[in-house]
Amino acid sequence: MNEITLHNTLPRVFAGRDAVPSDVWQRELRFERGKHYLVSAESGTGKSSLCSYIYGYRIDFDGRIDFDGRDVRSLSVKEWCQVRQRHIAYLPQDMRLFPEITALENIQLKNRLTQHKSEAEILKLFELLGIGDKVHSPAGKLSIGQQQRVALIRTLCQPADFIMLDEPVSHLDDTNNQLVARLVMEQAEQMGAGVIATSVGNHLRFDADAVLHL
Amino acid sequence: MNSIIWKLLRQHVSPTQLVGFAIANLVGLTIVILAVQFYRDVKPVFDDEESFISKDYLVITRNVTSAGAMMGGTTEFTDADIADLESQPWCRRVGRFANSEFATYATVGLGSSRAMRTEFFFESIPTAFIDVDPAQWDFDPAHPSVPVIVARDYLSLYNFGFASTQGLPRVSENQIGAIPLSFTFMGNGLHEAMPGRIVGFSNRLNTVIVPDTFLTWANQRYGHGGTANPVRLIVEVNRPGDVKIENYMKEHRYDVAGDKMTSSKANYFLTIIIGIVITVGIIISALSFLVLMLSIYLLLQKNTRRLRDLLLLGYSPSQVSSPYKRMVLLINAAVFVLALVGLWLARRWYLPMLAAMGVKGSSITIAALVGLAIMGCITLGNLWAIDRKVRSLWIQD
Repeated sequence: MNEITLHNTLPRVFAGRDAVPSDVWQRELRFERGKHYLVSAESGTGKSSLCSYIYGYRIDFDGRIDFDGRDVRSLSVKEWCQVRQRHIAYLPQDMRLFPEITALENIQLKNRLTQHKSEAEILKLFELLGIGDKVHSPAGKLSIGQQQRVALIRTLCQPADFIMLDEPVSHLDDTNNQLVARLVMEQAEQMGAGVIATSVGNHLRFDADAVLHL
Repeated sequence: MNSIIWKLLRQHVSPTQLVGFAIANLVGLTIVILAVQFYRDVKPVFDDEESFISKDYLVITRNVTSAGAMMGGTTEFTDADIADLESQPWCRRVGRFANSEFATYATVGLGSSRAMRTEFFFESIPTAFIDVDPAQWDFDPAHPSVPVIVARDYLSLYNFGFASTQGLPRVSENQIGAIPLSFTFMGNGLHEAMPGRIVGFSNRLNTVIVPDTFLTWANQRYGHGGTANPVRLIVEVNRPGDVKIENYMKEHRYDVAGDKMTSSKANYFLTIIIGIVITVGIIISALSFLVLMLSIYLLLQKNTRRLRDLLLLGYSPSQVSSPYKRMVLLINAAVFVLALVGLWLARRWYLPMLAAMGVKGSSITIAALVGLAIMGCITLGNLWAIDRKVRSLWIQD
């Protein structure tokens, strides 16, 4: 997948508003593979909605979203599974870890589907992000900041054309923010992937090709 | 991968509910297949044409003790009587018994001192009503030889009553054909003998039967043409045990030979009772199916969040639902196997009783297929429900 384009897209909840001052909604917008985008927004402007539309689990929008010119509404369930396994790596804002299984099992759940990283590589990432001692802890017992890092590792356990991160560092300190940013950039570079990161305040410390205000 | 998914999805699986379903369904299914099998095992007793419970045929006579007969009324059936019988909805067809109108002697043996001679009589009915299928059931005046079918009771009477007290040998049905038999007919000034042979034994007809062709020929030759109205009729009915038949017979003062009406009723009630039992079994199975459906819905509902999150990771709906489908398949397969075991145990108990009545029992294929079909439907329903529920989670608006 080389580009994701938005054509006059608007969440239905915003319909009826006269004008939505935004760089994203009701515009022609193109996310290109290999480029980095920061979507900056205030709370309630539809940033998580944008991610859910692109990731295909919500369709309550007007206008159109295309993957390489193909309307996402025409994708079959099977094709969406492929998108989620091979093309778009997504870190949801609420992380969606399973609290009852360990941090490592949460990662394995994704990695066994994609066979993208070895267990050694995964453990190395745990170490790198400073949570090496939490590998076998139930995810529900981790702090929000630790969970955010586990969820990030899970996001990186797949091949991708785009890495889409919804507030990836909202609960991280500056040092960890930089660690995460470096890791994401590194992985994106290796795969030639584009990065779309959203933020309400604590921005991911990376060089964005474009900053979009929702 | 599967173990981690199962670790997640087994949350909220309620063993109590599943065991409840399994037991309920086991009971229902066992009742159904046992009823089907029992019916098939017992049916031959009722269906067998050779059996004492010959169910479709009634032999009727006019009640000779009725006032009409005492006062010189006839015991014959008129054409109108027969037409009225034939017009009844439960009547399939009516056959007339024809009688011999001449004197007959039968001689058993070769004319030596041990030969037995006795007065004899014949009747005939249309071949379609005869419950044995003898070869050469015909008569040719050019080569006279009279085939006869006698009631099996007569053979029993000889073997168990006569032979054992008189020191005579018992004879089997196979041996009887080899016994030399001849008939002497007298009438119209004639006195003729011709050979005869017993070609079969009937349970349905409590008399001595010869082919229609012979009796017509003989009545003309030795009697006066055989045109009299019949005094006995054989009626084939399509609803054995029907109360209407009994009422009709009572109303017209007809006697039904033997206890065939009673045994026909037994068969009729067997069918009804088996039908009721099968219905009850199916209702129990259907209710247990609903229990499982509810249980599955509840389970999926409680695990909605987990299922959705797995879908977000890139798992397909079929991958996500497969642990539940495997669970359902496993439970249903176990129920089916246990029901077959139940069937086997029940048959081990009742087959010896049937064996005492000379019934061997039939194969369990049909019962097993019925069970398989019911479990198949239940399983398909369950799988469809799981699929539908999981697919409904795909879009998370």
